[in-house]
Amino acid sequence: MLKLEEIGHLIDDLAVQLVMRQPDAPIGALAGAWVPQLAGIVESARAEGAIQAAESAGSLIALLTATEAPGAEGLSEQLQAGLTELERAVREAGSPKTAANSPSLAQDPELMSDFVLESGEHLASIETQALMLERDPCDAETLNAVFRAFHTIKGLAGFLELWHVQKVAHETETVLDRARNAELTLTPPAIDAILASADYLRRWLRYLEAPGTNGPPVGGEEALLARIRGVCAAPAEPGGGHPEPDRDEQPAELPPAHPETSGAGPKGAPAEARRGSANAVRVDTAKLDLLVEMAGEMVIAESLVRQDPDLPTLKSTRLQRNMAQLTRITQELQKTAMAMRLVPVGPLFRRMARLVRDLSRQFGKRVEMVTAGDEMELDRTIVEELADPLMHMVRNALDHGLETPRERRAAGKTETGRVTLSAQHRGGQVLIEIADDGRGLDRERIAAKAIERKLIATAEGLTDTEVFNLVFEPGFSTAAVVTNVSGRGVGMDVVRRHIDKLRGRIEIRSVPGQGTTFTLKLPLTLAIIDGLVVRVGAERYIVPLFSVREMLRPKEDTIWTVKQRAEMALVREALLPVLRLYKRFQVTPASTDPRASVMIVGEVEGGRFCLLVDELIGKQEVVIKSLGETFKDVSGIAGGAILGDGRVGLILDLERLFKERADAGP
Amino acid sequence: MSASVLSQNPVAAGAPLDVRSGKYLTFALSNEEFGIRVLKVREIMGLQEITAVPQTPAHVKGVINLRGRVVPVIDLRLKFGLPTAEYSQRTCIIVTQVQGESGPLMMGIVVDGVSEVLNLSDQEIEDTPDFGEDIGNRYLLGMAKVKGKVKILLDIDKVLSTQDLNGLNSILH
Repeated sequence: MLKLEEIGHLIDDLAVQLVMRQPDAPIGALAGAWVPQLAGIVESARAEGAIQAAESAGSLIALLTATEAPGAEGLSEQLQAGLTELERAVREAGSPKTAANSPSLAQDPELMSDFVLESGEHLASIETQALMLERDPCDAETLNAVFRAFHTIKGLAGFLELWHVQKVAHETETVLDRARNAELTLTPPAIDAILASADYLRRWLRYLEAPGTNGPPVGGEEALLARIRGVCAAPAEPGGGHPEPDRDEQPAELPPAHPETSGAGPKGAPAEARRGSANAVRVDTAKLDLLVEMAGEMVIAESLVRQDPDLPTLKSTRLQRNMAQLTRITQELQKTAMAMRLVPVGPLFRRMARLVRDLSRQFGKRVEMVTAGDEMELDRTIVEELADPLMHMVRNALDHGLETPRERRAAGKTETGRVTLSAQHRGGQVLIEIADDGRGLDRERIAAKAIERKLIATAEGLTDTEVFNLVFEPGFSTAAVVTNVSGRGVGMDVVRRHIDKLRGRIEIRSVPGQGTTFTLKLPLTLAIIDGLVVRVGAERYIVPLFSVREMLRPKEDTIWTVKQRAEMALVREALLPVLRLYKRFQVTPASTDPRASVMIVGEVEGGRFCLLVDELIGKQEVVIKSLGETFKDVSGIAGGAILGDGRVGLILDLERLFKERADAGP
Repeated sequence: MSASVLSQNPVAAGAPLDVRSGKYLTFALSNEEFGIRVLKVREIMGLQEITAVPQTPAHVKGVINLRGRVVPVIDLRLKFGLPTAEYSQRTCIIVTQVQGESGPLMMGIVVDGVSEVLNLSDQEIEDTPDFGEDIGNRYLLGMAKVKGKVKILLDIDKVLSTQDLNGLNSILH
């Protein structure tokens, strides 16, 4: 039997063996020696009462015995991680404070995060379905689904001792139960109460997710409960102000759902949810990201092997055949891994449906929201980042775009306005459109405002598009009345910044009296970019291709020096500022003569500029990697990527380079 | 094993395990020998091409590709304010895993050469002498005397997360 201290030393020994072993020695050979030692640790740790340590040693044994492919690189890292874990467990067992206070089940962070995740999904579906119930309060299937969702949240909350959550969920469930049993009809106020309770629960989830940053929701709970109970108390009088006539016909026949209603609301939502839960597993996003990254690396490693200069000298058809096979599999693997990161945009669109509902009431406008392309898939990061800008644009559409029912009638339109959200693929990109059939952008008013704000001198000679694009300027707002939703001029420039961050573009089309359409063009993924590899001195950099407009070799008269300071280049009759990359990054270039260099015209928010580099090496698809916190203060570099020869190349941040070009000095 | 028995165990009861005893990887830097805990070491690799990152302090050599991961590399000589030396056959990169602001992160350190792995007991490790400032407590775990030679035991987490190590010069010179 070993003492804890001796166990600690044994762990050190194992760690040394792992680090100091011959690099090419198969790691599997360690297993023979390790397993008995680890077994000893398990036994001793158990005797010492260090259960955690015994468990982690046990899992190391499992790891070693389960591995059938000795020499796997991943194994070495797993073993190291396991050893670190084991060491920590041993040390914790040694310190007196961890004697025997088993944390209560409710404090288990894993259970809690599962709860937050699962309840979040339920709340999302509750929201969608509540909106469907608003159109058809008697749809038994939807009623049941909402009821079940609240019921599940209630159960889980009770289990985790979240009494506030449980109470609200319980009261709401009671309302729904009564509606299910036809004792009560879900009037619009009842739907409001259900949505309010979902909002309240969501605030709780946000708190539970990050207790440090968000405080627990305080206040309003009693009022909410009273409101829900009030709904409950209301008698089930037929025709209680709801315009839907079919409510009376079918009070409470449960199973046969109306088939025609599923087409009315946001399409296919419940069916989709059901399908998803059956055949899906939940995976930690960090693991997923690692897999995608590794698949990307595999593509690079494969191309390294394929382009190996020694390979053509081996005239083996078998080798060639196998190489081709490897290439095919690698590409397939990468494609599959990328696909795993993609999620449909439908849930995002459905969140907007809720917003449209709330805002249309607030503005006294009648609005119908239509979505298309819900099933279109996008990288999950993009979908998450898209929520804010989309919300801004939908607000704008409702506030400024759509007219009041009276105005619409006067203009000869239907009273109900229409907002369309759609997604589609086009040429390796995803197009998302937010269209309204409102009054359209007012060219004259935008121009007048822009002149007032000194953004432009005159609107003459500007195309409609150029004038419309002025709304993306910071601080620009033409709303006559400043409302609490939009009109403070913080909207559209934020939208543009978000879209830029996602490496997307935004365009406006507008016809007076017919409406406005915002088109977002977004990349499918953020993990990979097309890069232009350039060389400056001994260094290579990657320029993101999406912001490169053209490349040219400067002639003698291309570059001008203005006032002996700033250099400008004349490109297609436009004077653009010039940035010599070697000066900015302080590397020694092959030549300081522009005529021996290559000029890249880059376009970023705020303008175009020329980047002077030694030469172009080629175009390459690269997997973007963060440089980590060590380099968080470095400006002008967006990240790193592994180049074809296995070295790291730095990806340029053209935006920052452009903005800070003045600091670089003459 | 019940809690009462556990508390009678001298290790568990009074003195917690000395975090300093254990195995250290020692390496040479200038005329000194340093040691870091073996469990912090992820890999020892020969020198390879390092991609320089602009606008970084001189001791930040740049980044390397460690099986698809971008890992920063620090020249420990420069970080400690020691005179620079030509990289030689013996120069190597020790890849360590240290505690960053947002979780563990890998970082490579360039050293003159890896020496050996030492098993140090509590008795062999002494507290850092008081150098007038609290440098010792901040970056060093202690000092160990082995066969008449002094090994400086680094708290590599702190060394690599601290920008300004000027104070350390006073110990080394």
